[in-house]
Amino acid sequence: MIRYHISLFIFVLIACVLQQFIPAVTALYDARILLLHLVFLCCSVTVGFSPMLGLAFLCGFLWDANNTLGPQGGDSEVYINQIDSLRFGYSILLFGLMGVLMQCIQPLFRRGAWQVSAILTGISVFLYLLAEFLLITFVRGEWIFPAKVLTQIWLTAAMTMLCSPLIFAILFKLAKLFDFTIRYDGLKRRYFTPEAYSLDK
Amino acid sequence: MKPLNLITLLLFLAGVAWALTRSEEGVRQIQRTYYAAIGPFLKSGANLETKARAFTDEVEHSKTVIAKLEVAEAALVKLRTEASHLRKLEEENIQLRSALKFQQRSPFSVKAAKLIRRKPATWWETITIDRGLEHKVEAQLPVLAAEGLVGKVDRPNNETSTVILLTDEKCQVSAKIKGSQEVGILSGQRAQHGEKPMLRLRYLSKEAKIKPGSTVVTTGRGGLFPANINLGTVVSSEVGAIDAEALVKPAVDFAALDTVFVLLGHQ
Repeated sequence: MIRYHISLFIFVLIACVLQQFIPAVTALYDARILLLHLVFLCCSVTVGFSPMLGLAFLCGFLWDANNTLGPQGGDSEVYINQIDSLRFGYSILLFGLMGVLMQCIQPLFRRGAWQVSAILTGISVFLYLLAEFLLITFVRGEWIFPAKVLTQIWLTAAMTMLCSPLIFAILFKLAKLFDFTIRYDGLKRRYFTPEAYSLDK
Repeated sequence: MKPLNLITLLLFLAGVAWALTRSEEGVRQIQRTYYAAIGPFLKSGANLETKARAFTDEVEHSKTVIAKLEVAEAALVKLRTEASHLRKLEEENIQLRSALKFQQRSPFSVKAAKLIRRKPATWWETITIDRGLEHKVEAQLPVLAAEGLVGKVDRPNNETSTVILLTDEKCQVSAKIKGSQEVGILSGQRAQHGEKPMLRLRYLSKEAKIKPGSTVVTTGRGGLFPANINLGTVVSSEVGAIDAEALVKPAVDFAALDTVFVLLGHQ
């Protein structure tokens, strides 16, 4: 079990490196594939609550280290209205919330309905970006929400969601490689089969 | 909830609180460590991209020649291809001369830097350049192109730096309309998309006579940017209840940026 969890942490680090090379598509309203988020979401549905929080912390930490902006600087008498940005660490909380959302459908995933999880990755990314944009608006003031932003958010979510089967396939391979059974220890329903799902079925 | 999950949740929340309460210097230190680890990947990625682009160009070139040969215009095509190649070289030569002249005529010490990454974050307008603390690049230093101001250094790391572009809402510049006394604050706009972003020049006086086509330059006030750096041209203006603001087209084509110059002698 521990080997599978370690492999997930390594998988997240690889995703973080690969994320650097995924550009924003200008023609699609600067939408892009959020690989780090996707890997986290797919991993979080295959593990328990505690490892999910560990992964959320790692992903949020890496994402903020990658993106947090510095202070505006300059003479405060000239630049009276300083523009704030989001604090380092906010992503950790958002990743945690996305992980909790993914864990809600873990019983279905356990049953073999990974497709529902794939759709939920898209919904989670959509909610993540929406929350992020609303937080920026809250911090900076002046309510701006153009239709293009909504388009950018749903295009990013859709592009990310389309890659989720590939990530799930990698995770199933990893689980098989390290003899890990994707287990659900929470609320049990009798229509959920006790066997773990695998690609070989 | 299981005791283990509860303990993990508490640890997670403690971790979030720890991250949120990091000082500015603490965050910079974390980011420096992060970019020191990821820097080699970024640089090798940029090199790969350059090679891939050269390869694609080569493939396109070969395909064109073959197509022309098929219609029995070999000689003509060869000449055309050569002419095209020469034009490309000429353009490159002009660009390099312009960059060299810019570097020579600049009253400050400038450091040329190559773009290695564009817009890595979803909501921030930033780029990454291949110069950092090792090359004496510091935070808040102005970044220029031959046409005008590009932005300022936001986060210098050891080998690379993140530059916040003029098109970002957070990059504010004290600006004036050339030939008038009108002074305001120029910045990008939130949630702006497309290849031709526009800037907002705010806090102008209500009585200001703003003509479309007027040039906007830096004032030199505020301690961030030297005076008289080209920022853009006024496209339109609007008078509000308290003040007026103008829409400005940036002087720099941000989509075509490849090489930029960090102004080392200014701060």
